[in-house]
Amino acid sequence: MTTFANALASAAVVVTVGAVVVLWRHRLRSIVVALAVQGVALALTAGLLAGHEHDRVLFAVALLVLAVKAVVIPGLLARVVAATPGARETDPLVNVPASLVVAGLLTLAAFIAARPIVALVGGPTGRLVPLGLATVLIGFFVMVARRRALSQVVGLLLVDNGIALVAFLVTSGVPVIVELGSSLDVLFGVVVLRVLLARLTAAGFSDLDQLRSLHD
Amino acid sequence: MSPLSLLAGLGVLAALAALAPRSRRVQLVAAILVAVEAIGAVVSIRVLATDHALMGRTTSLLPITGVRIDLTPLGALFTLTTAFVALAATIHWLGYRRHAMSSVSATSAFALFVTSLLLVPAAGDIVTFLVLWEVMALSSLVLVAHDHASRDEARQAAWWYGAMTQGGAALITLGLVVLGAHAKDPSFSSIAASARHLPGAARAAIFLALFVGFAAKAGLVPAHVWLPRAHAEAPAPASALLSGAMVNLGIYGIVLTRTLLGVGPAWWWLVAGFFGVISALYGSLYAATSTDLKRLLAYSTSDNMGLVVIGLSASGLFYASHPAASSLALVATLFLVTAHALYKSTLFLGAGSVQYATHERNLDQLGGLARTMPATSVAVVIGALAVAALPPLNGFSAEWLVVQSLVHGLASADPVTTVATTVFVAALALTGGLTIVAFVKAVGIGFFGRARSEQAEHAREVPVSMRVGPGITASACVVVGVAPGLALTAITRASAVVAPHPSGLTATLAGFHLGALRGAVDPLALALGAVAATLLVAALRRSRGPRTAAKLRSFEPWGSGRTVTSARMQYTATSFAEPLQRVFDDVLAPQHDLDVSHAVESRYYVERVAYASANDDVVERRLYRPVLALARWWGLRARGIANGSVHRYLAYGFVVLVVALVVVS
Repeated sequence: MTTFANALASAAVVVTVGAVVVLWRHRLRSIVVALAVQGVALALTAGLLAGHEHDRVLFAVALLVLAVKAVVIPGLLARVVAATPGARETDPLVNVPASLVVAGLLTLAAFIAARPIVALVGGPTGRLVPLGLATVLIGFFVMVARRRALSQVVGLLLVDNGIALVAFLVTSGVPVIVELGSSLDVLFGVVVLRVLLARLTAAGFSDLDQLRSLHD
Repeated sequence: MSPLSLLAGLGVLAALAALAPRSRRVQLVAAILVAVEAIGAVVSIRVLATDHALMGRTTSLLPITGVRIDLTPLGALFTLTTAFVALAATIHWLGYRRHAMSSVSATSAFALFVTSLLLVPAAGDIVTFLVLWEVMALSSLVLVAHDHASRDEARQAAWWYGAMTQGGAALITLGLVVLGAHAKDPSFSSIAASARHLPGAARAAIFLALFVGFAAKAGLVPAHVWLPRAHAEAPAPASALLSGAMVNLGIYGIVLTRTLLGVGPAWWWLVAGFFGVISALYGSLYAATSTDLKRLLAYSTSDNMGLVVIGLSASGLFYASHPAASSLALVATLFLVTAHALYKSTLFLGAGSVQYATHERNLDQLGGLARTMPATSVAVVIGALAVAALPPLNGFSAEWLVVQSLVHGLASADPVTTVATTVFVAALALTGGLTIVAFVKAVGIGFFGRARSEQAEHAREVPVSMRVGPGITASACVVVGVAPGLALTAITRASAVVAPHPSGLTATLAGFHLGALRGAVDPLALALGAVAATLLVAALRRSRGPRTAAKLRSFEPWGSGRTVTSARMQYTATSFAEPLQRVFDDVLAPQHDLDVSHAVESRYYVERVAYASANDDVVERRLYRPVLALARWWGLRARGIANGSVHRYLAYGFVVLVVALVVVS
């Protein structure tokens, strides 16, 4: 029991830390790697829950998460990064130290806001719900504070991973059809955004705020 | 259920058949649609003949509530009318496609529009009703926006129509959902059972929401602003359906409101009657002064719907004091709805044929079409006679019945009702006069006299299908007018769904008698009398003709002994309506622009006089424009917070999320 709880907690913490790493690193390559690691941790969370509940369907969901969120999506983004080697988040709207402080505050806010859910779910899984919420908030903050278009996409994926983590923890595994639906949604979203990114890069935009020139 | 699901399935198939190659597209879709309309007609005739509602339910099509079908005789009357109008419009479309409305989007939107129009009256619960209502609204929006690429007016019309129809739908949804929340299931029958236990204020609020929502669809003033634009810009088969079928469903909605909520207090119907009177007068006045043929017809639709709502209000007002007159008013109203559908679709299809032949809608550019387009002109003249309520056509019977019910209801009512009814009768009389002016102008300027433009002069008669379409509805106007018996039997059954008290109206094949209320009319005898009188005059002329013809030379009246040799010497639509426009100057507030240029040599010589008068909709100018200007100002103010930065937009969402989380916890 304690082994399970510890392992689950570690995996969930890795998910949240992955989000913080995205906020911390400048190199786009590292950001994508952090996203992939987060995907693995998310799949591990689902796998651990599946093993604990002896739920084969949930295990299939874990494999699906591993395939989509740890391999396919980071792979797609890595190809964008490979097109512009050494690309960096040069001049974020909020600098890194301040961002890390904000991330800490957001995590705190998540722990405060999630109290009713923790009380409702209870047990070792319930305690971890604030981590999912913190991931959502940090992901949202990444979208607000980072200039590069790729960072925006990663921020969106962080939000999605955070939601998935909360869903796993609260319901002890979501039905495979729901997970399939949301994963495919995200995958299509990323494919579209990837095309958009390529077009933006080709048109000479890499900073989203340059798009303000389109405003009439 | 099964014939109606076949109808729905075929309708969807027709919408998909629009993907067929261009050369066969319209024929294929029209063929399927004719089958759809035939099924609609057969099903509704069966319901009307047996007087038993068609019920059905399936849980497979829509989630949670499923689809409930409950085609009462009342709904069947509307479906039957729609089926008939749609049949004529579909046949007309076969020829009209060479002019417009042959694209994939227009073709499939037309198929969906026809199908949803047929099915809306069959909806048996809130969800089914609202879904079909929205399909109807959106598919018709596509048709209104048909010319969006080439004409700015079409884009404008689509915006106005879209805003009004969605606003109306929002109110209808609100009213129905509140009603449904208090019933044990969302079917109309259980709502009707439970609505009586609602507190009075809630029922009043629901009535107002539903009335305003449905009135916007029916084109009552001041929610009529979309109607002249949309009807004028939509392709002819679509505008025939908009005016001949869709506005009817607004009326169906108001009758449905009465079945759901009960008749309610008298003030509900005073409010409804007020808007009916305003619409009737305003619509007929603008019809009389419009120079655009399709706008004229559209304003006349607003006017007719006003008369219909006057009838509905009378029925509601008399319900407590004089139930027989109340039932009679409802029968009369429903008769007027069906009559309007028939003659107005005739007129719109005829206007479409004129547009097809001349590419012109402005009456000031038409004229002389009776010679070049005889068949179309006959149909239009029949339609115009019917809308002017002249015997023996169906418009006459309908308005006669409305007037009779008002007069009989007057006898036994309380003071408020008496005053209201008097106003109703006066409004009916004034409207009748104005309508005659409008249609004398439409027919006299547009179809008689000399051609006022090249296009009108060289107009050629339209293809067969475009003559058959309006021909069908025009003959129906004559048949229902001369022999109203069968139609009245069906309408009495439809009306009994809402007002079960017998109206005392008995219909024979050729005429109808009001029974205890006293009063009878025999349109067939009137018709025969009119024919006999005409023959008599013709015979007299012929017998005296040859002798006097040699001595007499005929000249145009007011022609100073000369004959009219130039089209420019004739009345135009503008000049014909000018005296009327002068009388109603304060209401219409037309904008005149008189530009006199003097000769260079002397100011006493006038070189050129240019006169322009714009007669735009006064409700639109005084009521909607200020509101729109305010909204625009507000929107421009808001641009300060929307500077185009993605990050700023995201930050708004983020801050709201975090603040909400912290506040909630």
